[in-house]
Amino acid sequence: MLDTLTTILVFGVAYAMLLFIISVGLSITMGLMGFVNLAHGAFAMAGGYVTQRMVVSLGVPFVVALAIAFVVVAAISVVLERSLYRWLYKRPELDQVLLTIGIVFASVAIVSFIWGPDPLLIAVPEFLKGGIDLGFKRIPAYSAFMIAAGAIIVVSLFYGLERTRTGARIRAAVDNQRMAESCGINTSRLFTLTFALGSGMAAIGGGLGIQILGGIKPVFAFEYLVVVLIVVAVGGLGNIRGTFVAALLLGIIDFAGKYFLPEGGAFFIYAVAIAVLLWRPQGLLGRA
Amino acid sequence: MAAPAQGLAARSLLSHHRFRWVEAIPWVIAIAVFFAFPGYRLLATQILVLILFAISLDLIVGYAGIVSLGHTAYFGTGAYTAALLASNGWTEPLSGLVLALVLGALFGLVTGWVVLRTHGLTLLMLTMAATIMLYELAKDLDFITGGFDGINFENDPILGVLPFDVVWYSSNYWYALFFLFAFFCLARFIVHSPFGRALIGIRENVERMHAIGSPVKRRKLTIYVISAGIAGVAGAIWVQIQGNITPAVYEFELAADVLIMIILGGTGRLYGAFLGVVAFKILENVTETVLGTDEPYWMLAIGLALVFTVLFAPRGLLGIFEDIIKTVNRRAR
Amino acid sequence: MSDIVLQTRGLYKTFGALVVARDIDFSLARGARHALIGPNGAGKTTFINLISGALPATRGDVFLGGDNVTRLAEALRVKRGLARTFQINRLFAGLSVLENLYLAVSEHMGAANGMLRPAGARPDVVAKAERLLETLKLKDDAGKTVAELPYGRQRLVEIAIALALEPKVLLLDEPAAGVPSGESHILLDAIDALPRDIAILIIEHDMDVVFRFADTITVLANGAVLANGKPEEIVHNAEVRAVYLGEGNHG
Repeated sequence: MLDTLTTILVFGVAYAMLLFIISVGLSITMGLMGFVNLAHGAFAMAGGYVTQRMVVSLGVPFVVALAIAFVVVAAISVVLERSLYRWLYKRPELDQVLLTIGIVFASVAIVSFIWGPDPLLIAVPEFLKGGIDLGFKRIPAYSAFMIAAGAIIVVSLFYGLERTRTGARIRAAVDNQRMAESCGINTSRLFTLTFALGSGMAAIGGGLGIQILGGIKPVFAFEYLVVVLIVVAVGGLGNIRGTFVAALLLGIIDFAGKYFLPEGGAFFIYAVAIAVLLWRPQGLLGRA
Repeated sequence: MAAPAQGLAARSLLSHHRFRWVEAIPWVIAIAVFFAFPGYRLLATQILVLILFAISLDLIVGYAGIVSLGHTAYFGTGAYTAALLASNGWTEPLSGLVLALVLGALFGLVTGWVVLRTHGLTLLMLTMAATIMLYELAKDLDFITGGFDGINFENDPILGVLPFDVVWYSSNYWYALFFLFAFFCLARFIVHSPFGRALIGIRENVERMHAIGSPVKRRKLTIYVISAGIAGVAGAIWVQIQGNITPAVYEFELAADVLIMIILGGTGRLYGAFLGVVAFKILENVTETVLGTDEPYWMLAIGLALVFTVLFAPRGLLGIFEDIIKTVNRRAR
Repeated sequence: MSDIVLQTRGLYKTFGALVVARDIDFSLARGARHALIGPNGAGKTTFINLISGALPATRGDVFLGGDNVTRLAEALRVKRGLARTFQINRLFAGLSVLENLYLAVSEHMGAANGMLRPAGARPDVVAKAERLLETLKLKDDAGKTVAELPYGRQRLVEIAIALALEPKVLLLDEPAAGVPSGESHILLDAIDALPRDIAILIIEHDMDVVFRFADTITVLANGAVLANGKPEEIVHNAEVRAVYLGEGNHG
């Protein structure tokens, strides 16, 4: 009993951390600028590919590869934002959805051209292999790493948002953009910065996810997207806490569902998401 | 005083619904294709059914402004209705269609009442999650649905005379075409009616509609139910002509693809659905048959087409045609 | 004593800790020409929103022709004879002027429930819409898209839509707002020409317009009624003058 519970908690929370890391960027940018960027899933996918190529082709250490993925994808996102997205800030949501879905299609195609549609694998670095002994149970080191990474990121984000001046500016802009502008905050630059940060984190998530999800393939851009959107909608836009809670809820339920019902457990997170959205359309911690 | 309306604008509004000769073109083409491209009948029939599905989606997206990523919920429900009926002994196809319409509409009523309380991103997510959930359920409840592999079944000949033909696809084609025509006419009546104009009002400025006393919620639910019923019919035809059903009828990818199709073709004008579906499916198949390669090319093309459409051609292919015709007319004067 | 067509009793509205309407008692008689004035942020538009149903009240009641409509949705109040215009245009910008009016007339005449017969089968609706355009001298603009019109004429369309609903009570929220002074006379003439049996409540800032138009004035400040009475009384009311002179201090 305790064994099962621990397994579910450990793997569920590890998966939840992955979801959180990928989703939090989207939640903030959607809350900050109201821009629906479905290409976010493609950023995660791209991050996975950069990480994989760095490690497997160039022998770069895993953690360094993650950092490189962060930088590369953040840079790409800034280019996209400056060149394409900025034309659509005032346009209806549907237009933003369609433009960014078009980008996802194109990116999946391009990645398929270059590296093919089959999943690429990664060799986990030595220090993350094996297990950690908790006394009553052994848990995989990778899961522990994921949980630790997630925790660190949450704490850093909180600290960054609550304690730094830039963080205060971001919170102000999320709360009331026009007011923030009239206080002299350059929301346009702030958005680009936040967008880059969020996209970079999605990239890191994509890299971290390779091991958990059994490889990286182009179609992940879509598969990540569906889950991320649900996490963001359930948690509430512009809300780190909300995303975290939603990621935990959905990550654990998804894992538990598939664990107990390997044949049919996949539908639980959708049922839960629907229930939450019907009860609170603005998300668990979103603003009404 | 009841002086008849005189102005140009009034006459335009009053005669908007009249059939123009250009409208015959898509139907003439549809008939011609049957004879001109006998090798492509399967694709052509699929296109016809998808156009019906796309029209049902355009009724809510293009006319009422309800953007759903889960319309396959009703397509799939209609499909399973028809399939389960046939595989359990009731093999008459037309009654299968009627039941699919009714169940699709009922399901639309129950879910629509709930879903329409939301809007924007929440609505998008809700509809997406709903159809994915139905897909998973269809896969899991294999004792009913045959699971991932689905069920094979067979219907009686249509009207006792025309057998469904999964090899040469002749009666299949006319079956699909007939019902596409029938429901297209229905849709056309609706969008040109005062009710249809009210839907456009709801799409354009819903606050104003409340302020002129329009029962917005009731209107939206009405068109949603009608649209769900039509989607159900499309689903039923889709599986009847193939004699086979799998959970793919609930797939979210299909819902997204059909949304993309009507965007590319042009929303809010029924003929946009024709253009969009044809363009999408031909693009999808050209890469296979002509270039002889697989996926990525058409995905790239669709992706770029979407980006282009959003940025430069928001009224879609139909909008581009209309602009061309306008320019030609202006030059001709 | 003529009929009271609109009444509010103790109308109270809060947004969190912010009180935007404080126990407002108000009544409007049939055929009234009543102006609502007050400094910015006094809650005038909020008051209109509470009456029209666009905003639900926290406490208090709204009566329309004697019936309590406080729990009724906006669209249902419209059906009972209430119409309003918006301070910033809420028109169907992409549709033609005629189509804009058509929608309002269609709803009012119940035509919009008709699904299977084309819009063309209801020439009476179109005719009515056209007549309305004539009354407001918009006939030449019938086919133009609203977005193409100069702002002053758009404001006219805003009023035309409200009139299409054949209201007993008409709420005009700053009808001349944003209209260049050269065009505003068209608007004001149109308002002057409105049928005498409609009760009209108009929010205005321009005192010339107020004095030209209003038989009675209510002054709102900080969400509460400050004064009520004929124009000459209001002008000489010390509290009112204080509020306006000190207008810079109010939010």
